[in-house]
Amino acid sequence: MGEFAQILLNAAITGSIYLLAGTGLTLTYGLLRFPNFAYAEFITFGGYIGYLLLQKPDGSLPLAVAAAFFATGLLSLFSHLLCFRPLVNRRASLIPLMVASIGLGYIIRYSIGEMWSWAALSYQPVWQAFDLGPVRVTALWLYLIGAALFTGIGLHLLLTRTKTGKAIRAIAGNPDLALVSGINRDRITFFTCFLGAGFAGVAGVFRAADTQLSPVLGWDILLPIFAVVILGGIGSFYGLIMAAFLLGLAENFGVILLQAVGLSTEYRMAIAFLVLILVLIFRPKGLAG
Amino acid sequence: MDPLFYIADTLVFAGIFALLTLSLNLEYGFTGLGNFGKVAFFMAGAYTYAVMASAHMPCYLCLIGAGLAAGLIGFLITFPVLRLREDYLAIVTLSFGEILRITIKAQEGIAGGVQGIVVPGAFAPFTDSVRLLALANIGLVLFCLLFTFLLVQLLTHSPYGRILRGIREDETAMQAIGKNTVIYKAGALATGSVIAGVAGGLFAQYISFIDPYMFLPLVTFFVWIMLILGGPGNNWGALLGGLTVELINRGTRIAKDYLSLPVDPNNLQFILFGMLIILFLLYRPQGLLPEGPVKTAARKEVLRWRSSLPTGS
Repeated sequence: MGEFAQILLNAAITGSIYLLAGTGLTLTYGLLRFPNFAYAEFITFGGYIGYLLLQKPDGSLPLAVAAAFFATGLLSLFSHLLCFRPLVNRRASLIPLMVASIGLGYIIRYSIGEMWSWAALSYQPVWQAFDLGPVRVTALWLYLIGAALFTGIGLHLLLTRTKTGKAIRAIAGNPDLALVSGINRDRITFFTCFLGAGFAGVAGVFRAADTQLSPVLGWDILLPIFAVVILGGIGSFYGLIMAAFLLGLAENFGVILLQAVGLSTEYRMAIAFLVLILVLIFRPKGLAG
Repeated sequence: MDPLFYIADTLVFAGIFALLTLSLNLEYGFTGLGNFGKVAFFMAGAYTYAVMASAHMPCYLCLIGAGLAAGLIGFLITFPVLRLREDYLAIVTLSFGEILRITIKAQEGIAGGVQGIVVPGAFAPFTDSVRLLALANIGLVLFCLLFTFLLVQLLTHSPYGRILRGIREDETAMQAIGKNTVIYKAGALATGSVIAGVAGGLFAQYISFIDPYMFLPLVTFFVWIMLILGGPGNNWGALLGGLTVELINRGTRIAKDYLSLPVDPNNLQFILFGMLIILFLLYRPQGLLPEGPVKTAARKEVLRWRSSLPTGS
């Protein structure tokens, strides 16, 4: 029983990271209609901004999260202004946009490597651990789950109760109709780029705090994040929430299964890939479609 | 180091990458398919070659095996997503590149796992001379490159190639005139993967030791830079791009020894490559050598007729 509860907790932790990291990807994917591979590097960048504040043992996590949110949001905004918007204005098709996002990713990743070196770093604060019923949790995990909950509820309110949120959904649903009804597409796109990448930066801080910080931090989890975005249905935030926790469950139960049949746990990634392929074969529109 | 050997080494690597670029040109340049996992098919070819060569099979058989294995994997992985939008193909191929590397790394049983595997050289039993060996390697790679270039050139300038270009421009229109576009797309991807597999076989044979860390997504990125720089849709452009990027790559490695920069030249190189690809996509999306007009018998007729007209009319 205790073991089962622990797996559920691990699934919630994994799912929370995927939810935070996938939010921006799915929202901008829905708006601009191309997968931005540079999101991997946005996650990494957030982790390093967090490091600026958490390299001392008495660093404050909320402050690091806020800094990572704003810095990564700004980075995304700049990259949109300098790279993606000019390309879209020149009517670049889908694949050149994806290639550009990969190029941008390399620029960011190697700049990080240049600034902070390629060696792995770790955050200094030690997270307090305590027993909660049958499971052992750390304060960090509670913060992480709290942040994911906050993101979920906050975005739900934004998307359903505010004009901006409704405009995001309108553009994703039918860009021409949205334009005709007087929605300022540029402004909404800037806002979504900033907000989405901000959450990715926060995911980077939590991922780095939970494991280690290195310039490939984001790239290493890009595959499961794409699996989650596609399983949830591209552009669908509610699908994403479900998909993130489903993949979290699948991975954590899968790892137990892998150990039981004597396979390496490095195949954890393969679980995400399997999910991705199965979704594409049987339900390409995802859960929300 | 022997400068002659260095030039030979550069030529062999440029040849192998030119093969990869040609294969991507067939897929993206002509058919409009974004394969972001080129490294996976390169790796599949390299490992097939390594395993077959370890079983003492002759070189040509190993190369054929490498091509076929990579082609088959390419077909199986991409076929399920060809009916969907093109971004799904990109995501699946990209992910597959990671998965293949992780699988081989985690499995001691398959070809050495993380330790890597030694590949017996094809020419080692015949000669001891380093220069002769280098010459034989250049010969083999350039022969494969020439053969592939002619094949791709013929394919893309045939009616088949015109259908591929048609799919790139307007898939619905091609379906409307009765072409089964999924079959054509699968064909282009399988052929491209065969070429990538042969390139992988040549790579394994040449460097005589492979491990999973040689097949990072970086390889895919390099091939894309080569194609975007050279000119998608132009096979000469693919060759030019392959050679240019390989020369830049070598150049920075030499410059590293002679220049003292405040930044690490390796980091700087990738930052510049990233900027280069974005600048090309923005300001010269057709690449250094733009795609030429479709050559048909009818067009030749028109050109001959036009040149026979008196000048000034």
